[in-house]
Amino acid sequence: MKNFELVEPATIDEAVALLDPDDAGVRAIAGGTALMLMMKARLFEPVRLVSLRRVNGALRGVRENAGGGLTVGAMTTLTELERSPKIAAALPVMSRALHTLSNVRIRNVATLGGHLAHGDPHMDLPPILLTLGARVRAVSRRGERWIDIADLFVGYYQVAVARDELITEIDVPAQPAGVHTWYAKFAALSADDWPSVGVAVWYRTDGERIAEARVAVSAATEMPLRLAGAERALVGNAPTPQTFAAAADVAAEAIEPVADIRGTAAYKREMVRVHTRRALAQALHTGRAAR
Amino acid sequence: MRSIGQSVPRLEGHAKVTGSVEYIHHLRLPGMLYGKIHRSALAHARIVSIDASAALALDGVHAVITIQDVLSLVPNPYYGPAFHDQPILAHGKVRHVGEPVAVALAVDPHIAEQAADLIHVEYEPLDAVFDEIEAARPDAPIIHDVLKPAGMFTDLKHLGGRSGTNVALDARVRRGDIAKGFAEADRIFEHTFRTGKVIHATFEPMVSLAEKQGDGITIHTASQSPSFVRAEVSRLLGWAENRVRVRTAFLGGGFGAKLYIKLEALVAVCALLTGKPVRIGLSMDEQFYTITKHGATVRIKTGVTDDGRMIAREVETYWNGGAYADIGPRVTQKSGFTAAGPYDIEHVALDNYAVYTNHPPAGALRGFGISQLVWAYERQADIIAREMGIDPLAFRRKNVLREGRPHATGTVVTDMEIDAVLDLLEKRMDWRRPFDRGTGVIRRGRGLAIGLKACISPTTSVATVLLYGDGSCALHCGTVDMGQASDTAMAQIVSEVLGIQTQSIRVVRPDTDVTPYDMATLGSRSTFHMGNAVRAAAEDVLAQVFHIAATSLDTEVSSLECVDAEVVSSRGARMTLREIMLARFAMQAGTIVGTGSFAPHYKKPDPATGQSPDVTPFWMLGGAGAEIEVDTETGRIEVTKLVNVADVGRALNPASVDRQLTGAAIMQVGFTLFEEMVFSDGQVVNASLADYKIPGFLDVPRDISAGYVEVPHRNGPYGAKGVGETGVFSPSPAIANALYDALGVIVHDLPLTPERVLRAIRQAENRPLGDE
Amino acid sequence: MTDATRTIRFTLNGRAVTARIAVYETLVEVLQREFALLGARESCAQGLCGCCTVLVDGTAVSGCLYLAAFADGAELVTVEGLPKDGVLHPVQQAFVDKGAFQCGFCTPGMVLMTKELLEQHPHPTEDQIRHYLSGNLCRCASYPEIVQAVKLAADKVHI
Ligand SMILES: Cc1cc2nc3c(=O)[nH]c(=O)nc-3n(C[C@H](O)[C@H](O)[C@H](O)COP(=O)(O)OP(=O)(O)OC[C@H]3O[C@@H](n4cnc5c(N)ncnc54)[C@H](O)[C@@H]3O)c2cc1C
Ligand code: FES
Ligand code: FES
Repeated sequence: MKNFELVEPATIDEAVALLDPDDAGVRAIAGGTALMLMMKARLFEPVRLVSLRRVNGALRGVRENAGGGLTVGAMTTLTELERSPKIAAALPVMSRALHTLSNVRIRNVATLGGHLAHGDPHMDLPPILLTLGARVRAVSRRGERWIDIADLFVGYYQVAVARDELITEIDVPAQPAGVHTWYAKFAALSADDWPSVGVAVWYRTDGERIAEARVAVSAATEMPLRLAGAERALVGNAPTPQTFAAAADVAAEAIEPVADIRGTAAYKREMVRVHTRRALAQALHTGRAAR
Repeated sequence: MRSIGQSVPRLEGHAKVTGSVEYIHHLRLPGMLYGKIHRSALAHARIVSIDASAALALDGVHAVITIQDVLSLVPNPYYGPAFHDQPILAHGKVRHVGEPVAVALAVDPHIAEQAADLIHVEYEPLDAVFDEIEAARPDAPIIHDVLKPAGMFTDLKHLGGRSGTNVALDARVRRGDIAKGFAEADRIFEHTFRTGKVIHATFEPMVSLAEKQGDGITIHTASQSPSFVRAEVSRLLGWAENRVRVRTAFLGGGFGAKLYIKLEALVAVCALLTGKPVRIGLSMDEQFYTITKHGATVRIKTGVTDDGRMIAREVETYWNGGAYADIGPRVTQKSGFTAAGPYDIEHVALDNYAVYTNHPPAGALRGFGISQLVWAYERQADIIAREMGIDPLAFRRKNVLREGRPHATGTVVTDMEIDAVLDLLEKRMDWRRPFDRGTGVIRRGRGLAIGLKACISPTTSVATVLLYGDGSCALHCGTVDMGQASDTAMAQIVSEVLGIQTQSIRVVRPDTDVTPYDMATLGSRSTFHMGNAVRAAAEDVLAQVFHIAATSLDTEVSSLECVDAEVVSSRGARMTLREIMLARFAMQAGTIVGTGSFAPHYKKPDPATGQSPDVTPFWMLGGAGAEIEVDTETGRIEVTKLVNVADVGRALNPASVDRQLTGAAIMQVGFTLFEEMVFSDGQVVNASLADYKIPGFLDVPRDISAGYVEVPHRNGPYGAKGVGETGVFSPSPAIANALYDALGVIVHDLPLTPERVLRAIRQAENRPLGDE
Repeated sequence: MTDATRTIRFTLNGRAVTARIAVYETLVEVLQREFALLGARESCAQGLCGCCTVLVDGTAVSGCLYLAAFADGAELVTVEGLPKDGVLHPVQQAFVDKGAFQCGFCTPGMVLMTKELLEQHPHPTEDQIRHYLSGNLCRCASYPEIVQAVKLAADKVHI
C-alpha cells in the first residue's frame, strides 16, 4: 500500500469537515474491513482516510427512539448488534442473520454504517433493513437529511450517500405486533460463504389475509431491492403455500439476475424462486411462534 | 514394539500451539531485498518490450530483473523435472496469464509491490488454447515450439526435439486383446467424465530466499524437495552441487505445491545479480497462477459379461497440463497406468495424454492424478452395477484385483488387502441395513468407491543417525514435515531401534549441506522409503554401539539389547549410551554415525505396452463410503456421513494415520462439492479464497471417520505403507454414487456444485433449467 | 501529505510498548517486524482464514485487515501472550493433547478464537463450536480434532 493521510477526528463536525466532495481519494473509514480489502487489492488508493473510531461514543450503540423503534449508531459493530438484547427482542430476523454474516473476527470490527455505505450488493443486512423500513441519517457540512433505505442503494456498489456525507445512525421503526419475518441466505459454495442469493420477507396478516407485505432480494441482483410485484401477489391473499408459490414466481420473473461464480442467471432466478417461497413459509411459522 | 504403533504426540506440538515453530515464511535476512513479480496479463503472447523506467524511478527500488538479466548469468534458463520447458522469467513470450515476466526488487515489500505495478509490458497477442481436448488437436495453436525433455527420466528421451504438437507425452498400457474383449462382452458401457482444475492453497504461501555466501549460494525455501532444488539450481548455474545449499523448515502445508522448482531459481538469480539477499514470497492470490492440479477428460469404455464381470476396459485420458510440464508427464504416466482401477480385467487398453494448454501449470496435488481417474472408473462402476441389477458392493467384490493376480501393467499384486478394505467399508457403512431414501424435497442416498495407486518408483532416500558424546541422538533426513507428522514417525523408528524416547530424538530440518539425499517428500513415499533408510541408519548405529558394549562388557553382541537408552546384556550387565560413548572416546566427545539408504527394485515398463513385472514398491488402496442428503430444489448436497478406509500396511502412529486419512478426505470433499478454478480467457476469475471456497468447519460431514486395515507389507518399515494421499482417492465418486443412489441422476463433471446438480435433476425431469 | 510514519503506544501481552509504524501497515506486519511475534501470520490476506488473529481489547480481529495505527491505545494479546510462567494456556494444552493441527499454520488463530469462544460460551455445543470457528480455516482440515480440543479445553478451563 502507498502512503496516505490518516486523520482521527473526535467529533462528527470535525469528521465531516475533513471529507471532500471533490476528491474520490478521501473517504471515511469505520471498521475498515471492506476498505482494507480494496486497498490491499489496489482497487482504492486513498489520499486521506477519515477514521470514525474516535467519534465512537456519539455513533455507537442501540437505543430506543421516540417512535418506539430502534436507533443504531453507525459505528455499532455487527457483533454488538448480534448480541444486543434490544435487537433480539424487536428484530429477531436481524439477530439471526448476523449470526452467519461473515465471521466473528469481521463482525467484531465491521460497523453497520460501513456495511450500508459500502453498497456491496451481496450483503445480508440490506435486504432485511429494506423489509423493516429502515432509514439512514446522513450528515454533512451542508446539514443533515434522512434517506429512506429504499433510496439508499442506487447501483452496483453505489449508494445515495454523497462523498462529503457521513452516515451517523440508522433508524428502524417499531414493527407491528405479530409481523412475520424471515431472511433466507443461500450459500452455493462452502457453507460459510457469502450468499449466492439472499431473500428477506416481511408480512402482516389481518385475520385470514395478508394485509401488508415486503419482499427484498440481494446478491442475485445488481443491488438489493424490493420486489413490488411479489408483494402485490401476497396482499389480500391467505398465507398459504399456493400464495407463497405464486409470489415466489413473480419475484423470480421480476429480477434481472447477475451471473457470477456463485451461479448463472438462470440458476439465481431459480434460487430466488425457491428461497422466496421458503422464506415466506418460514416466516409464517416463526411469526406465530413469536406471538 | 515400544514406539511403533503408538500415537506418540507430535514432536513440534508445543512450538505449533505457541506460534514459535519455524517457517521460511517468517525468515528475514539482514539487508535483504523484497521481490515482487510482475505477471503476464495475457494467456499467450509475444513480448514486444518491457519498460521498467517508472518502476526504477521509485524511491527504494533496487533493481528490476527481466530475462535479459537472467541470461547474463544463466544462458539456458529453462528448468523442470520432466521437461526443461519453463524459463526463470518469460523469455520472448508468455504462455499463461500470471506468468512471471519481471521482478521488482526493493528494500520494502510495499515499494516492491508498487514498482511491480509500474512495469509496463507491451505484448503481441497470439491465439491461445485452454481445453485439453482442443489443445491436442493438430490445428491447435502451438504452445512450445519444440519439446525439451529433461533427460532425467530416460523413458522421455524419445520425445526430444519433437515439434508441432501440444502433446507432451503419450503413455499407454496394453494387456490382452482389447478388440477381442469387447467382442466377447455382453454389454458395453461408455462414458466421458471430467474434473476441473483445483488448487492446493497451502496456508503458508510459497516463499523462497537466497543469499550469496562465498563462492556458493544458500537458498532458504519452503520446499518439499530440497535435493531436487539443489540439483536443478546447480545445473542452471553450471555449478557443482556442493556450492548450492538448500535448506527448509516446517512447511505450512505442501500437498504437492512446493515441489521441484517454484521460486528457487528466480530468487537465486536475483541474489546473484544484485549481490544481496532476496526474498520472494507469494500472496495467496499468486499461488493460483503458480501451480494447480490437472483438470482431466476421461473417456472410459468397459465391456461386461452378463454375470457382471468386467472383461475389457479402454480408457483415454487427456490431462490439462497448463503451459509448463512441471511433473505433469509423470502424473500422466505413473497415474495413467492405474486407469483400469483395482480390478481384474483381462483386456485393457489405456492411453494417457499430457497436454500443454495456456492455463497455469499443473503438477502434483495429493493423489498425483489418481482422484481424476477414480472419479471416472468408480462413477462408471455404479452405473454398470445398477444397469445390470447388481448391488454396487457385490459388483466390486466380483471384479476386484486379488493377491497374486496381475495388474494391467503385468505386475503381480501383492500386499494389498482389497477384500479386507471392502469388508470394513461394508461394516462401517452398515451396508446391509435398509436405507431410507426419503420422499420429499430432501432425498437421501449412499454410495461407495475404491481407488488404487501405485507408489512412484524408482526413488532413493538416504538417512543419517548420529549419536553424540552425551548419548543423545539426532536424525538427519531430507523428509520435509509439512504437517503429516513425518518427523514424529521417523523419530519413532529411531526410537524403536535404539530404545531411546521418541520425544528426545532431535530431527534436523532438511538442509542439503547436512541432510543426505532424498528424492522428495511426495506421493506418500516417505514412510516407506525414508522409513526404511532411517531404520537402516539406526540399526547401523546400534551395531556400532553393540560392538563397543560387547568389548567393554566382554560379552557377545548377540546377547545385547537396547532398552531405555541403555544397553543390557543377557547376564544383566548394563551400560548407558553415554557410558558407551565415554568408553569409545574416553571423554564426552565423538560421534557415532549410522547411515542407511533405500531404493526399491523396479523394472521400467515397456514403452509400447506399459508392461513391467515390477512397476511399484507398494500399492495404496483407499475406499470411501458416503451418505448424503440432496435438496432437490437447490441441488445442494450435504454429506452426512463419510467413511474412509485404507490399507496402510501398518500404522506407525495411529493418530497421525487417522488425521491424514480424514484431512485428505475433507480436502477431497472440497474438490467434490465446490472447489474449482474458474477461467475467462486464461484469467482465473476466482483467484482468492474469497471466491475460491475451501471447506470450513460447517462443511465437515457430521459423521466422519477413518478406518484402516493393517496387514504388514513385506518390504515396508515395520510393515508400513504410505498413507498421505489415500484419503483423497474415493470420496468424490462415493458422494456422486450416493447422489445417483438418491435420484438416479448422473453428473459427469466435478465439482458437484448445486447448480450442476440441479441442472442434472431438472434435465432428468424433462424441465431443464434455461441458459441465461 | 503528512509524514509516512507515526508512533503508536499500546499494551502488548501485558506490557506497555511503542512502535514506529507507517500508516498503511497492518497489525500483522508491525507485530512481526517490531516485536518478532510470528504467531499472527498472513495467509488469505482477506479476513477469511484467521491465521492472522489477534485479540484487540479482548476481541478477535483479523490482523491482516486491521491498520496498525488503530492499535494505538489498545490492549493486544497474541498467541505468544497466552502461556503463563512457561505453562501453556489450557486451550493450547488441549490442542497439544488432541493433536489438533497438522502443519500448524492456522493453529495460533484457532487457539485465540477458541479462547474468545469459551469466554462467550463456556460450555459450547458442537454446533456453537462449528459456527463460532467457521471463519477460521484449516487447509490441512484438522477440523475434527480441533472440535475435540475445544471440548477438552471447555472442560479444563472451567473445572
Ligand atoms: C472476509 C469477509 C467476509 C464477509 N462476508 C460477508 C457476508 O457473508 N455477508 C455480508 O453481509 N457481508 C460480509 N462481509 C462484508 C462486511 O459486512 C463488510 O466488510 C462490513 O460490513 C463493512 O463495514 P466496515 O465498518 O468495516 O466498513 P469500512 O471498510 O470501514 O467502510 C466501507 C465503506 O463504507 C464507507 N463508510 C464507512 N462508514 C461510513 C459512515 N459512517 N458513513 C459514510 N460512509 C462510511 C467507507 O468510506 C467505505 O467506502 C464480509 C467481509 C469480509 C472481509
Ligand atoms: S490472513 Fe487474515 S484472515 Fe486470513
Ligand atoms: S494445520 Fe495446516 S492449516 Fe491448519
